Amino acid sequence: MMGSANSGDLSSEMEVDAFRRLFPLRFHERHLLESIRPDARMLGKARDTTLALGAVASADGSALAKIGCTTMLAAIKMEVMTPTAESPDMGCIAIDFHMPPICSPTVRPGRPAEAAPVVSKQLSDTILSSGMINLKDLSLVRGKASWMAYLDIYCLDADGALFDAALLSAVAAFSNLQIPIVALNDDGRVVVVSEENEGGKLKKEPVNKEKRKLKLSSIPFSLTCILHKNYILADPTAEEESIMETLVTVVLNLSGQLVSLYKPGGQFLAYTSAIQDCMALTRQRVKELKKILDEAICDMEMD
Amino acid sequence: MSGTAPATYSPSPTMQNKKRAPIFTDVDWVRPDGRGFRQCRGAFLRTGAANAASGSAYAEFGNTKVIVSVFGPRESKKAMMYSDIGRLNCNVSYTTFSTPIRGQGSDNKEFSSMLHKALEGAIILDSFPKTTVDVFALVLESGGSDLPVVVSCASLALADAGIMMYDVVASVSVSCLGKNLVIDPITEEESYQDGSMMITCMPSRNEVTQLTVTGEWSTPKIHEAMELCLDACSKLGDIMRSCLKEAASASQE
Repeated sequence: MMGSANSGDLSSEMEVDAFRRLFPLRFHERHLLESIRPDARMLGKARDTTLALGAVASADGSALAKIGCTTMLAAIKMEVMTPTAESPDMGCIAIDFHMPPICSPTVRPGRPAEAAPVVSKQLSDTILSSGMINLKDLSLVRGKASWMAYLDIYCLDADGALFDAALLSAVAAFSNLQIPIVALNDDGRVVVVSEENEGGKLKKEPVNKEKRKLKLSSIPFSLTCILHKNYILADPTAEEESIMETLVTVVLNLSGQLVSLYKPGGQFLAYTSAIQDCMALTRQRVKELKKILDEAICDMEMD
Repeated sequence: MSGTAPATYSPSPTMQNKKRAPIFTDVDWVRPDGRGFRQCRGAFLRTGAANAASGSAYAEFGNTKVIVSVFGPRESKKAMMYSDIGRLNCNVSYTTFSTPIRGQGSDNKEFSSMLHKALEGAIILDSFPKTTVDVFALVLESGGSDLPVVVSCASLALADAGIMMYDVVASVSVSCLGKNLVIDPITEEESYQDGSMMITCMPSRNEVTQLTVTGEWSTPKIHEAMELCLDACSKLGDIMRSCLKEAASASQE
């Protein structure tokens, strides 16, 4: 209690910016007492989120997702592989998350960010286990050829809740994916059937004419929350994440089923009730995100 | 096939383009994107692309899309020797999806040092002694003339970060295809070029910071190409300056 009394004295004498830098925790706790955050958000409110599909022309599917200042660019490139003997009628998805040095002052070239492989693993676990994509849809010729979808996600600006933004951009990139029409040539290699040939003489019969779009079922969305004492802060910024370190990430699919839940340690232990509160916030957020994704797809089709 | 990562290949046809090469040497040939020989691609420039950085810029020239963040001036690495003047540290990287075939973009390892050399002459290094300014570029999509776009975008990002410079640095390249000179070439044109020239300059001071000439050139052709580049650089410089003015007046409001 002495602490808060002191901080009250100090804050009246000191400029707000200086106080924020010198006593970041007190600065934030003072806000929490009033149930508000430094960026004028309510505790349970996520930042403004935007989504743009088809941002990268050289990719088969792409999306740019922004949650507040956190910006993610995801792009998918389709390549052909020989399926393994155990699963001759399945394709494969390779997911990689990159944090290039442009995204944050803490990342230097040649020294990859610690967070990158963690988010990368979380993303592949979530996307592959959610059952969003049926890997059998990626098969071309049983036992001979199937698709390898390379999904690369680049963080262009890191301002907290990296996993949420990355997952959103990944899901959006898959919904934007246009699989190229391909045919088998004489050497048994798979080649693209270009649009121009189609009108005149078609040399080869395409093998995937009606499979240009992937069917996405039970799309996963996520929300990261900070647990601090008995407060729950949804969608934290980088500053909030660096000061209050207990994070909980909940991933739910569209039917509200739990896909995964991460609570990687942290100073505060979570009661079941806190986890349930996080779930409730995520359930709301999933509805928001679904709406944003639908609108982005709609905008894309209008163009 | 080995049990580890399965070998994959891109289904897009890459070989068939070879046949089209001779057409480039014709006098009356049309550029793939329909531009005139001396016409640059439309330039889209914006500052303040990334909030985490001290300054940043995004540039889009046709399909070439680049984002540059500037950090600092900040503490130099511990291993660095004492320096009276500031240091400049540059890095250029490509996304894996920037090129038509995945993962080919990382071939351009020399770009980091070329960016450094193109910029260092324009920056007033005395204005931040003992510290380092980091310039990091990420090529989101490679559509040809990548390095000139990176250099121009980096100079804009430096200005956005408030780093003192003698002038903005504008950069343009020209490809020589047979008898023709084409300005601001796209990837396809670059792959068939006989020679290339890139100039980075400070347009209002009329000073060249970097000049790279490769391939086969005749002396009159070099003169012609230089004129072409310098003229385009000064126009690009104007566009960059108006972009900065716009950003400054927007932030005042």
